[in-house]
Amino acid sequence: MLVILRRIGIALFTIFVIVSLTFFLVRKTPGDVLQTWAMDLVTAYGMTYEDALAMVKSWYGYEADQPLFQQYISYISGLLKGDLGQSFIYKVSVNEVLIKALPWTVFVISISLLLSFGIGVLLGMAMAWKRKSVLNPLVTAYASFTGATPDYITALILLIIFAVNLRLFPLKGAYDATITPGFTWPFIKSVLMHAALPISAYTFEHAAGWALAMKGSAVGVLGEDYIMAARARGLKERRIMISYMGRNAILPLVTSLAISVGGMVGGSTLIETIFSYPGIGWFFGEALVKRDFGLMQGLFLFLAASIIFANLAADILYSVLDPRIKLEG
Amino acid sequence: MMPLLAVKDLVVEFDLGRGALRAVNEASLDVLPGEIMAIVGESGSGKTTLAFSIFNLVPPPGQIVGGEIFFDDIEVLSLGPEELRKYRWKEVAMVFQAAQNVMNPVIRIAEQMIDTAQAHGKTAKGEVLERAAELLRMVRLEPSQVLRAYPHELSGGMRQRVIIALSLLLEPKMLILDEPTTALDVVTQAYILDILIDIRDRLGLTMMLLTHDMSIVAKVADRVGVMYAGRIMEVGNVGDIFYDAKHPYTMGLINAAPSLIGDVASKKPIPGSPPDLLNPPIGCPFHPRCAYATDRCREERPELEKIGDGRLIACHNWWLIQGGEDG
Amino acid sequence: MAETSFSIELRRFLHRTIYEPFRIVTRDRRAFAGLIILLIFLLMATIGPEVVPLDMRSNFVERFKPPSWEHPLGTDYGGRDVLAMIIHGSRDVLSVAFLAALFTSIIAVAFGMIAGLKGGLVDVILSLAINAVLSIPSFPVMLILGSVFKITNALTFGLVLSIWSWGTLARAVRSQVLSLKEREFIEAARTLGLGTFHIVFRELLPNVMPYMAINFVDTMRGAIGASVGLMFLGLVPFSATNWGMMLNFAVRQAGAIYLPQATFYVLSPMVAIMLLELGGVFFAHGLDELLNPRLRS
Repeated sequence: MLVILRRIGIALFTIFVIVSLTFFLVRKTPGDVLQTWAMDLVTAYGMTYEDALAMVKSWYGYEADQPLFQQYISYISGLLKGDLGQSFIYKVSVNEVLIKALPWTVFVISISLLLSFGIGVLLGMAMAWKRKSVLNPLVTAYASFTGATPDYITALILLIIFAVNLRLFPLKGAYDATITPGFTWPFIKSVLMHAALPISAYTFEHAAGWALAMKGSAVGVLGEDYIMAARARGLKERRIMISYMGRNAILPLVTSLAISVGGMVGGSTLIETIFSYPGIGWFFGEALVKRDFGLMQGLFLFLAASIIFANLAADILYSVLDPRIKLEG
Repeated sequence: MMPLLAVKDLVVEFDLGRGALRAVNEASLDVLPGEIMAIVGESGSGKTTLAFSIFNLVPPPGQIVGGEIFFDDIEVLSLGPEELRKYRWKEVAMVFQAAQNVMNPVIRIAEQMIDTAQAHGKTAKGEVLERAAELLRMVRLEPSQVLRAYPHELSGGMRQRVIIALSLLLEPKMLILDEPTTALDVVTQAYILDILIDIRDRLGLTMMLLTHDMSIVAKVADRVGVMYAGRIMEVGNVGDIFYDAKHPYTMGLINAAPSLIGDVASKKPIPGSPPDLLNPPIGCPFHPRCAYATDRCREERPELEKIGDGRLIACHNWWLIQGGEDG
Repeated sequence: MAETSFSIELRRFLHRTIYEPFRIVTRDRRAFAGLIILLIFLLMATIGPEVVPLDMRSNFVERFKPPSWEHPLGTDYGGRDVLAMIIHGSRDVLSVAFLAALFTSIIAVAFGMIAGLKGGLVDVILSLAINAVLSIPSFPVMLILGSVFKITNALTFGLVLSIWSWGTLARAVRSQVLSLKEREFIEAARTLGLGTFHIVFRELLPNVMPYMAINFVDTMRGAIGASVGLMFLGLVPFSATNWGMMLNFAVRQAGAIYLPQATFYVLSPMVAIMLLELGGVFFAHGLDELLNPRLRS
């Protein structure tokens, strides 16, 4: 119990460090970014430079004339109350953006994770069980290919082939804007169609990696004495494959799950941008390009915190699944 | 008496890429019903491979390439996969070394028992657990404590006893025990041996005991088979082997074992080292280390011949050698 | 003429440092293929821009032309030769990646060495830092840094990309230093009174080299992906021929993905990235075998 508390403490501390770093980083922005932004406003809206600069400054400081440390305190106390900040371009709180965008990202990433992990693990088990089959070289080749290319390239290729050229899937959005949301079939179908390509992009990219990891683990397990003993006991091959090889081989992969969630969330910015899918990643991308520091900071904090806790959860989960492991501090 | 297990000229090879290693080199052996037969030999003599062959479970890159194995009236090596699966554990079961990792680490003992039983068609969980509890008590373990434990939660001695109980689950006709007391302390060893004799007396089980420890042989065995370089060199009942060993290797083994009385200094290890099984010497495999080797030994391999009732020997010069224990 | 001992030594040295590694890498077909690919790109980056002229003037008559002898990969939305842009862009991409890997190595080795050698409180603090860097995904951090700072050249870009990438190498260096610290030759060096400087550079660093080498290639690969990603989003617009910018223009601005004639324009940077990354992966595999003799079959 103590160990878990300590882990949570470290996680919170890390988040605190991130929060502080981003806060000061953003506040200490070199002036020329503000100037460029002000210049944009001048050309777009015909303001005077002084007005534009003042406006830009007011957007991201709470009160820019307050001493920095005071701003920091009010920011932290706001955070503790759950206030993640304001978005400049959308003029709403970051929390509101989160509420609208988070469900989509969670939807896509969880299905992608389930699919790629599930397919990968099954493939990996098959590859380990039947070493000589054609599956092995095929999947290995596929894995090195997808492992090398960055995920956004796979996404782009899918977009070009399936959305642009074959017109099988829509090009953007989470669902068709003409359909009203609800538990109706047209809506659900639209949602699925729009999510299909992002999910495929993730799955294509990651499934082979899982397969190889599972295969490696399973091959190691197959060399263990208890597999041989299980055969001597006359157990059916299927039972051995699933409960003896499978259950033992999957354990090390569980911690990798959390890390891969981190990777998927990290990559969501590009993938959602490519598919114009309005999840957290897309909003983060918009915030980045439009220099909306409030939104940027708030979303990043959310992302980082969820990943850190996902890692923690994975560690705890692993110690629960493997009766031999006792969680270490 | 018809033997329960008959192994005839078994050959098992391991393909090592640079050649084939003959772990079992035309070994022949009979085990009679109701007896405890000890197979003695150094590590690498082929005992364990022989044991696995009885299950047709030689691990790759090993392969059985010759010979026959008859268990009861079953021709083991010609069984198909499903028949083989049913034969294993039901007819003959194995007690592995506790030091080995022979139980699934993420499954409780109770479930491992149920697994085994269900694989052989006994699906009533309650009955299986009752029987498992009975067996655990027979090996002097407390069922309520052991059944819900995971393998790593048990001590070495407890694990060994669980493995014994597991092996009896389906009432096999024969048990093969692979070094059942190695890696256990002497007190636990005695305890386990006690249990084994108890089981044999109560259930009338036939046992094949693989070991390199002569003191265990003296304690529990009825008959002894001596294995060297993948071949059986001598077979006889335990008294004959200990007091009237005929094969030079057997004599060497007995002389090498220290006893509580007598001078340790007078004990002699067998000179030389075990043969290279990739390129075994021509002729008798023991001749490089044998004090009595003659030219014939170097050229011609001796076959097992029967020299008395249940007494077999594979040596050209056995009648010329003074047998028995030294000092 | 008899061979002098010097020439024997020289031959042995060359054999060990050049011939042997070469032979080991070429034995593995994949690693060899990787090496060839990387060499081609290296050539492209170093000599390419000198050999192939780049005409950046817009010529709308020529826009989106299909491949031909004049333009082997077609033209872009401004009528400019795609192949020339790829070749010139390779220099940008590779130099940024190289710098990123260089900075990463320096930072990682510094952190790892100090943490491992000093121990105690210093180690605890530095380890916390290393863990923090490892547990927070680097790409979002790089995105933020790319947005907050105005990056105008390869040097700053490389620096920014390296800020969050040194975690894995630092951890590896630290554990290696920790295990070596106790071994005899360090003890011996200390008793001989050789300073920390000597220990670090002559004893520890050579043992850490294998990790550094492999990590260098891996970091370069990651930096290529990250830099192109950042440019694709439009965050770091300092070079128009950089493949990331080409993708940015193609996909987001010129709408080239919707035009079948523009396929080569869109595909070229993607294929270039894929090939370069593949080459890196394969070569890294060979490098791994070279430096880790246990992996050689």
